[in-house]
Amino acid sequence: MAAAVEMEKEEESPMKKGEEALERLRSADPPLYLTQSSEFARDARAASCFLFSSLVPFCTKLPVDRLLVEGFDAEQIWYQIDLLSRPLLSTVRREFKRLEEEHHSRAGLSTIDADGDGEEMVVEKDEISVDDEGDEEDGDESEEKGSEDEEDGEEDDEDDGEADEEEEEEEEAGEAKGNVVEDKFLKMQDLENYLENAEAKEYGHPLEDFDSDGDEDAELGANARYEDFFGGNKKKQQKKCGTVGKRKRSSTELDAVDHFENTDEDVEKNDSEQKLLSTHEKELQKMRSKIEEMEKANLDPKSWTMQGEVTAAKRPKNSALEVDLDFEHNVRPAPVITEEVTASLEDIIKKRIIEGHFDDVERAPILPSKPPKETKEMDENKSKKGLAEIYEEEYAQKTGLAPALLSASDKLKTEATMLFKKISLKLDALSHFHFAPKPVIEDMSIQVNVPALAMEEVAPLAVSDAAMLAPEEIFHGKGNIKEEAELTKEERKRRRANQKRRFRRLKAETFKRAVQKTGQSAVPGATNGN
Amino acid sequence: MEVEKVGEAKKEVGSGMEVENAASSAGAPRPQFKALKPHEMSDRKIEFRKVSVPQHRFAPLKRCWMEIYTPIYEQMKIDIRMNLKTKKVELKNRADTPDISNLQKSADFVHAFMLGFDVADAIALLRLDDLYVDTFEIKDVKTLRGEHLSRAIGRLSGKGGKTKFAIENSTRTRIVIADSKIHILGSFLNIKIARDSLCSLILGSPAGKVYSKLRTVGARLAEKF
Repeated sequence: MAAAVEMEKEEESPMKKGEEALERLRSADPPLYLTQSSEFARDARAASCFLFSSLVPFCTKLPVDRLLVEGFDAEQIWYQIDLLSRPLLSTVRREFKRLEEEHHSRAGLSTIDADGDGEEMVVEKDEISVDDEGDEEDGDESEEKGSEDEEDGEEDDEDDGEADEEEEEEEEAGEAKGNVVEDKFLKMQDLENYLENAEAKEYGHPLEDFDSDGDEDAELGANARYEDFFGGNKKKQQKKCGTVGKRKRSSTELDAVDHFENTDEDVEKNDSEQKLLSTHEKELQKMRSKIEEMEKANLDPKSWTMQGEVTAAKRPKNSALEVDLDFEHNVRPAPVITEEVTASLEDIIKKRIIEGHFDDVERAPILPSKPPKETKEMDENKSKKGLAEIYEEEYAQKTGLAPALLSASDKLKTEATMLFKKISLKLDALSHFHFAPKPVIEDMSIQVNVPALAMEEVAPLAVSDAAMLAPEEIFHGKGNIKEEAELTKEERKRRRANQKRRFRRLKAETFKRAVQKTGQSAVPGATNGN
Repeated sequence: MEVEKVGEAKKEVGSGMEVENAASSAGAPRPQFKALKPHEMSDRKIEFRKVSVPQHRFAPLKRCWMEIYTPIYEQMKIDIRMNLKTKKVELKNRADTPDISNLQKSADFVHAFMLGFDVADAIALLRLDDLYVDTFEIKDVKTLRGEHLSRAIGRLSGKGGKTKFAIENSTRTRIVIADSKIHILGSFLNIKIARDSLCSLILGSPAGKVYSKLRTVGARLAEKF
């Protein structure tokens, strides 16, 4: 029982809850939409459910009959709403078109209220669309409304939306009284006046108020005679014209009429026959009036802007300020320096500095047309070669007996080729897979007499003599060198004998020389031998 | 003498042969004669050249005598001797002198040495035909007196002789400045260039200007060869 009651309550409570939720949303302050309050979200969901379920009966094929909001995210809820609203849209559009046509034909008030909730929804839109973008959870509702918005084709601006809604409301509600529609921009009376004026200009005679003219038309129709249409009593017509009520005449028309009145009775007649002129005649009259205007303008003295050379005395004071004068500006107007301009300039400068792209005037490189001449430097020293030698060398070079001298450029060339060969060799070694040994360069170089194996010595380089020559390389001796201790007796004897022999020979020579000098054997007692 | 006889005989034969030739054409084959020796060409006359030695060149001559003597006697085949009494170097033709001009060349060589040129430079006269020695005086160019003359000479030589050497090196000539006289040894064109430079120096142009001219000229000369 309680359960049944509860069930009942539950059945109607969703509806009520939904309504209440809507009410709460409507009454809520706009800033509240921006806050993330869970109860607000709950309200929003409840409201969407309620609205959804209220719209369900109008839609024929629908997969769900109520909006599932528990545990679904905004995308899914929106999709459900979309499913509902699409077919609805088409029906609403159809209804709308039908009603429009009806309205036009009747030109009276017509009420369009396809759904009882439609208006509500429209009204809701006003309030909710204020915080359209604020709340994400409220987005469901706004999207729902958005489907209706699409009818208008505008969704963005809240104000516009509101205004459009208002207009839509207008059209839906029908042509209400002026005070319903009017706002500060739109005044029906002004609109009417403008329309009347335009029509007067267009048709050449003032628009007659239907209400007031209705009687007169009838009158005229009854008493229509030949004179009325083609000539006749002008006075009568004039009186008739005078009695006509609202008559709005354009100024030109009035002028024309006055002019005619002033001159002739015929003119008066014409004037009275204004209403009855044929279209062609009306056109002609219009043309004539225009011509009159133009002629008048031509005869009048021109305005100072149209006169040729006008000095300050000939024009009113400060009149040149109002007129847009066309000057020939020979100078480019000074650029307005704004922050953006300076910022952009600075950006350009920075970019250029980073790139290193400057606008310095660079000297054009002198293209070498010929190889640079080898100018021999002026030698200010006495030439080491004699003149004959110079000529001799020259002759030898000419005939080819002597190789040509290696000039400086040749030396540079050889050096350059050597360097290039080295580099290319290295590059080839890097790039090729197979091994290519180093090429043998026949080069004469002095080899220092250094031992073949240079062992690492403990002693420092300055002290050690590892790089020096080996003893056998230094020693210039012959044969088998033996120490004193090693010698045998015979060898010792031999050595002594050699020494003695040498000594004797030396002595003999000195003696001989001395003898030669003096010319006599001066040294007595010189022992010979032994 | 035998040679002379042979020469005479040859001459006669030659003249005879000419007559014979005129008479009969397709007779005996033409005899081939050797070319005349220069000695014979000059009718076997012995020629002399005498080159006087100035006082200041005595010592250098003594020093370089062998260097002078050897090429003349051996290569030119000219007899050369120094006459101390007359203080002249005498050159004489020989019978086996290969060329008539040798004597003159040798004389020029010795003369060049006497003017003040080095042996190494003067030897070029012996080797090359077209080398000459040109002499001119400063007063030929411009009359300068006293200090001006000294300054002109100084300008010509330059500091340590560098201007002179510069001219020599760039024009391939040799220059000797002896007081007021200037001697230039070299080929005709080079002499001209050197002379122009020296004259401009005498007339007062600064050395730098002369250098620049020399540079262009020297480059042109070098290009030619």
